[in-house]
Amino acid sequence: MSERRVKYLLVGFSVASWWAARSIQEEDAEGQVLAVSEDEELYSRPLITYALGGRVPGPAYWGDVVCNPRVTVLWGRKAVALEAEERVVHLDSGERIVFDRALIATGSVPIVPSVEGKELEGVFTFTKGKDLLQVERFLARYPVEEVLILGGGFIGLKTCEAFLDRGFRVTLVELAPRLLPAMLDTTGSKYLERALRQAGVRVITENTVTSFVDRRGRLFGARLQDGEFLRADLAVLAIGVRPNIEWLSDSGLSLGRGIMVDEHQETSVQGIFAAGDVAETKHYITGERMVVAIWPEAVRQGKVAGKNMAGRKVQYPGSLPLNVVEIGNVPLASCGVVNPPDDTFEVLSRSEGDRYRKFVLLDGRLVGFVLVGDIEKAGLFVHLIRERLSLHSLKDRLLDERFGLIALPAEYRKHLIQGAEVEV
Amino acid sequence: MRIRIHEECCIGCRLCEIMCIVKHSRSGKILKAFREEHPRPLPRVRVEEEGYTSFALQCRHCEEAPCIENCMTGAMHREEGVVLCDEEKCVGCLMCVMSCPFGAVQRGSEKKAVSKCDLCGGKGTPPCVEYCPNEALTYE
Repeated sequence: MSERRVKYLLVGFSVASWWAARSIQEEDAEGQVLAVSEDEELYSRPLITYALGGRVPGPAYWGDVVCNPRVTVLWGRKAVALEAEERVVHLDSGERIVFDRALIATGSVPIVPSVEGKELEGVFTFTKGKDLLQVERFLARYPVEEVLILGGGFIGLKTCEAFLDRGFRVTLVELAPRLLPAMLDTTGSKYLERALRQAGVRVITENTVTSFVDRRGRLFGARLQDGEFLRADLAVLAIGVRPNIEWLSDSGLSLGRGIMVDEHQETSVQGIFAAGDVAETKHYITGERMVVAIWPEAVRQGKVAGKNMAGRKVQYPGSLPLNVVEIGNVPLASCGVVNPPDDTFEVLSRSEGDRYRKFVLLDGRLVGFVLVGDIEKAGLFVHLIRERLSLHSLKDRLLDERFGLIALPAEYRKHLIQGAEVEV
Repeated sequence: MRIRIHEECCIGCRLCEIMCIVKHSRSGKILKAFREEHPRPLPRVRVEEEGYTSFALQCRHCEEAPCIENCMTGAMHREEGVVLCDEEKCVGCLMCVMSCPFGAVQRGSEKKAVSKCDLCGGKGTPPCVEYCPNEALTYE
């Protein structure tokens, strides 16, 4: 059984690890970094739906953050156990890796519902590169007209976008009364449903698949809870993901829903860090502990983890959920608190034709928004949330579609632009 | 080289927007760009106006650019200091739109890619600056 010794170990090699590697090397140019990846090659995980939709030939990632020769990657190898106190990771190949500092960035795994027939040919999950290959192989081999997506969460919607791009007939089945319940408010979900229907999608809520039915060993349809039979040649199970932490159950790390980390992205064991979809952090606004499994937070957490691993104390300010989907020609974006829990929050909203804006404020500061139709200034609103800028009288103008940088106080506006190395 | 904004000098004429559209049109001709090319290219500089205040705003080509970090394909990248979107690689996920603190990245006219200032390839003074009648934009 072989053993390796390394200063920095990255378990999982996707976006959080890429940025951690860069941060480590900014601080410690000499430190050797070893990464272990279950994948066979480098790719961008959220790109698989766009590759399926044909917008790019494949899920390749082109960013220069990964052009780093000082990271050695062991591809196709899976970490199966961690002994935190001993600083050892065991791989499926039997190798042991002894490390000084480690980052756990093993991402998430799909939740597979216990539905009869879920193993049938034609039923897939869709979160990894290999899922894309399997779906493409299936589409090349068999005639497919009807696609069923089980789950109206983010992955379900992104997968739906892809199948629409490819021209399939899609049915979306969601158990909850509305779609994207975490990302949107009730009105936003209505807009989303309308956009889906206009794009030709059949949306079924408050219902679920009780069994998948085959014909000659291959998926033929699904029986729903209310008894309806739905024809389907291909189905995607997208009811959700959970942090990939099963392999850590005996590791000695504190686990919640994900790996518990502090404001340095450090776990309960000193020298071991976690970032990305596997890490449980604090919500930027509410302070509530949660897993925010989105690319931008994986970048930020990876950077913070890398700096701290290399000895520079850097704090992570907390996770800010944000996301955007586009169905038909309707973009929908949201960020922060969109379903305020009580009336200490102030809500401003305007719904007009196919456009909708909603802003959530707390103590005169923006803490969340939903935008449908016009999302052009979404980044500015995200910025206002992150900066915790007190809006005072400005808040009355948020609903105006012309709201932009010009609405901000001149001094602040100039400061912002100068911050970007440009004088005004 | 950077485009600098001088809002005190802006009169809100929007010539910068027009010249940006022409520059990024297929023909490079003003009449053709506006009358014959569909979809018409979007201006990558936008004039914001409120009362007597106005200024032209385009991508600031940030030193630490969140649009690059948050790009899931690597389409958004930097070449010699200029932040550029490689439209072949862009999938239109709109995460850069969500990331830009200035609101300076837009959905493209075709939904596959986004649209932003490319400093006109770094070759000479961009037309938005060149045609500004009052030096509200300068290139330094």
